[in-house]
Amino acid sequence: MKVLKNILSQLHSFVLWLLASAVFWGWIFTLVTDTSPAKKVTIYCDVPAVEDRLLAAELEKDMPEGLRMVQVHAFNYVMLDTASFDKGDIFIVPASEDTDLLMDLLPLGEGGPTKAYDAASGKGAATEYIQYTDEDYYIYLGSGSVHLDDGAALDVAQTLLELP
Amino acid sequence: MEKEIIELYTDADMERMGLHVRRWRRILLAVAAVGLSVCIALAASTDTLNAPRMELATIAVSTVAGWFIIYKWVFTLSPARHELAHAEMLRREERERFEGTVKLTDEQFKIRKSVPVRRVIVTNGEVESRLLVCASRAEALEGLDEAVLYACHGYVAAYNEVTG
Repeated sequence: MKVLKNILSQLHSFVLWLLASAVFWGWIFTLVTDTSPAKKVTIYCDVPAVEDRLLAAELEKDMPEGLRMVQVHAFNYVMLDTASFDKGDIFIVPASEDTDLLMDLLPLGEGGPTKAYDAASGKGAATEYIQYTDEDYYIYLGSGSVHLDDGAALDVAQTLLELP
Repeated sequence: MEKEIIELYTDADMERMGLHVRRWRRILLAVAAVGLSVCIALAASTDTLNAPRMELATIAVSTVAGWFIIYKWVFTLSPARHELAHAEMLRREERERFEGTVKLTDEQFKIRKSVPVRRVIVTNGEVESRLLVCASRAEALEGLDEAVLYACHGYVAAYNEVTG
């Protein structure tokens, strides 16, 4: 009873400490789990659902030298104007994608866009991790990617295409 | 006839209180160091897959360790430190003598926001002196009738019983 009374008398300190702890370690973990665009490859998928961490961990197994991490994000239209989205390295977008977005994207090779998912056959890249809808999907490189020259974005895209 | 003066805080008491303060200071420092080390170890062993779990575990460890430290600081270490400082003041400063009938009341409150004290009233004829005694030492004055109390700044430091 006395302990409970003591705790209640200092409840504000306990709550404040909990908040401070969450904010501080949240910030530390943001630093630990993120890095500069030069040391990571970021993939944006315009799909209903993606196992982002599992896919990122799988791609990190065969990561080009100099990279620290791969990040995978489900595409969100709120991200369209953000700086990090502009510097995205790889994009997986459906065939029905808005053409304004496609203007900022580059095909992997010179023979036009590469298919990431074929709706007719149901086969595609990383289908164990990415939930595609019932239409074709294409994979592109971002025109603002910092990994166009070093080839890291293309390497990761090719690894992604080979994943079951 | 006056008996021998009895100090409320003897050398042995001071030694014991000092030891108590030093021991709790070391314990809290150790908990802080261990808690911080565990948090750093958890943050350092974070990878893409376990990041959310590790962040949650780190916040939990940091929060629980912090709560323990806050609780023990507020309700154990701080009162002990303040009582030690108070006792040192009682032993160091000049004392005033109060003789008469001693009555220990149930009125209790805290000084320095953490040290509980009780009210003592010394009545000598028409003169009533209102003094304070640390609750942890009040027992010594329980049952006293005629006595001489020695006080610093209104706090009882020693007493001797008057008999005959």
